[in-house]
Amino acid sequence: MSRSRLISPLRTVVACAFTALLLGTAPFVRSVAAEPDKATAAASGVQLVTSAKGAVNVLSREEATQLLLGHRNRLNDGTPVTLIDLPSGQIRARLYQILTGKNPVQVRANWSRLVFSGRVRPPLEASNENEALEWLINTPNAIGYLPSAVNDKRIKVLLLVDG
Amino acid sequence: MKNRIRLSEIFAIGALLAISGALRAQTPESGDPGHEQTAPTSSSPFNFDTKNIQFSGFGTLGMIYTHDKEVRYIRPSTNHPGHENPDLGPDTVLGVQANVTLGSHAALVLQAISRESTLGSYKPRASLAFLSYAFTPNVTVRAGRLRTPFFMLSESIDINYANPWIRPPSEIYSMFPFSELNGVDLLLTFGGIGGFDVELHPYYGTSDLPIYQDGKGHLKNVRGLNITATSGHLTLFAGYGQTDFSLKWRGQDLQTLSQYLRQPIVLNGNDILRDLSGSDGKGSFGVAGIQWDDGKWLFIGEYNRLRANRYAHRAHAWELTAGRRFGEFMPYVTLASHTEDRPITTKRVALAMAIPGVAEQLNEAVDAFLASRNLSQSSATLGLRWDFYKNTAFKLEFAHTRIHNRSWGSFFPENPNDPPATLNQRMWKRSINTLGVSVDVTF
Repeated sequence: MSRSRLISPLRTVVACAFTALLLGTAPFVRSVAAEPDKATAAASGVQLVTSAKGAVNVLSREEATQLLLGHRNRLNDGTPVTLIDLPSGQIRARLYQILTGKNPVQVRANWSRLVFSGRVRPPLEASNENEALEWLINTPNAIGYLPSAVNDKRIKVLLLVDG
Repeated sequence: MKNRIRLSEIFAIGALLAISGALRAQTPESGDPGHEQTAPTSSSPFNFDTKNIQFSGFGTLGMIYTHDKEVRYIRPSTNHPGHENPDLGPDTVLGVQANVTLGSHAALVLQAISRESTLGSYKPRASLAFLSYAFTPNVTVRAGRLRTPFFMLSESIDINYANPWIRPPSEIYSMFPFSELNGVDLLLTFGGIGGFDVELHPYYGTSDLPIYQDGKGHLKNVRGLNITATSGHLTLFAGYGQTDFSLKWRGQDLQTLSQYLRQPIVLNGNDILRDLSGSDGKGSFGVAGIQWDDGKWLFIGEYNRLRANRYAHRAHAWELTAGRRFGEFMPYVTLASHTEDRPITTKRVALAMAIPGVAEQLNEAVDAFLASRNLSQSSATLGLRWDFYKNTAFKLEFAHTRIHNRSWGSFFPENPNDPPATLNQRMWKRSINTLGVSVDVTF
């Protein structure tokens, strides 16, 4: 028996085990496609913000949309900006849905196509709102988003998109 | 070579297993959405390590089962026609990428991928290695190794997570399977033209393609222009390009055919051979595509055509896909077809003297050669994509394919060394069912 005849079933077994492993855990993970808005998110809006000391003063809705779609990484005046994402969740899903019309699955597919075809660099993702706030404060040309309830003198609001 | 155990293949699978395990270990709230960057510290988030270099990756573990013992599925000129069934070769891929920011205008992108080559190797290769420079917000130049942008989804041909299917329809994407462009391109964007964001994408360069067996394709002076217009859920795409090219088949089938056609009795043997393989080809390709994705309904349509004066056939192809999302599930259906407009050569064997049966046999051999380079087929695919975990998609696809007359389509005979007449009878107009399963990840 050739080695290829031995390895072929092995490959199949590994592949099946891999798939079964992933599928087996699926019922225990939260649904990731819908990420439904809940009352808590609906009650407050989302604000696009940047450092109060930063060079960015104006952000149009169109610029914000194109930034989130990966269609631009500079503002109309030429300022290069860095997008800071929140982790997957209601705020993030809400912002992208409102400004780009895309749900989380579409957003991830879009970014993966752009990043891995070499068009854009991926956004930086903070692990929570506090970390996003710290990054925004410390980086003049970073643009991020936070719940509109967040009020901090070290950031300025560029655009209020909801609520 | 094709029967050798491939350690790199095992490594690729192992890496995907590890990645998947790492992803599953994360809670949905704390995880990363798709792109891993070195975690910045809260006090100083943007030192060199964090702001200026970002690492990310993608992968697919996929296998396809061909319900036919006499043929097996291949992606022509992309992967090796192995004997495995189910076969991991056509769809399994692993890619890692580094984005390096160099000041406020320049950037470096490096990407390596491992996937089965036409030679059966999983040896990683550089799939992106370019410098980009943004002159203005709307003008960026890139130079180095880029992905070929020949068709609508060519630049993301290996990023299966970004696509609904396990793999983009081979009727379209095996037509011109060069994957890397060594050259330069320009990305020019214009906002708000009639409500559309428009991108003009001219490019110029060279490209190489290893072909089973031991063949080689080379494009030089390949130049083209793509136009993409996006508005809301709608994307329109059009592209056209031209190239000078060489295509040198060196397989056993051409060697055998050459021996036959170079017999003194064959008057036009060399004429035929000059049509089949050489280095002074000229070709062109055009494409028009449309995508609609409103979050519920997904439609993708693409038409392309290839023209060549020799070495490759003239052909056109189309595909239509419709999908409907139900939460994290998306069933979809795809119809696709690839039609040969003119074979690589239309010449028939002419003999110095009539000998019963000889011309027929030689023409059968020519026909077998041409059929093995003809991708004509039609297929209907029923699939399901399940985004069951973030950055992870499971896909299941059933396809019914009918190979056209005088073609092998995207299949390879189990015994390619059978007599030409036998191969022709076996492959032409054959109907085949395939079942594919895959898991895509980005990280």
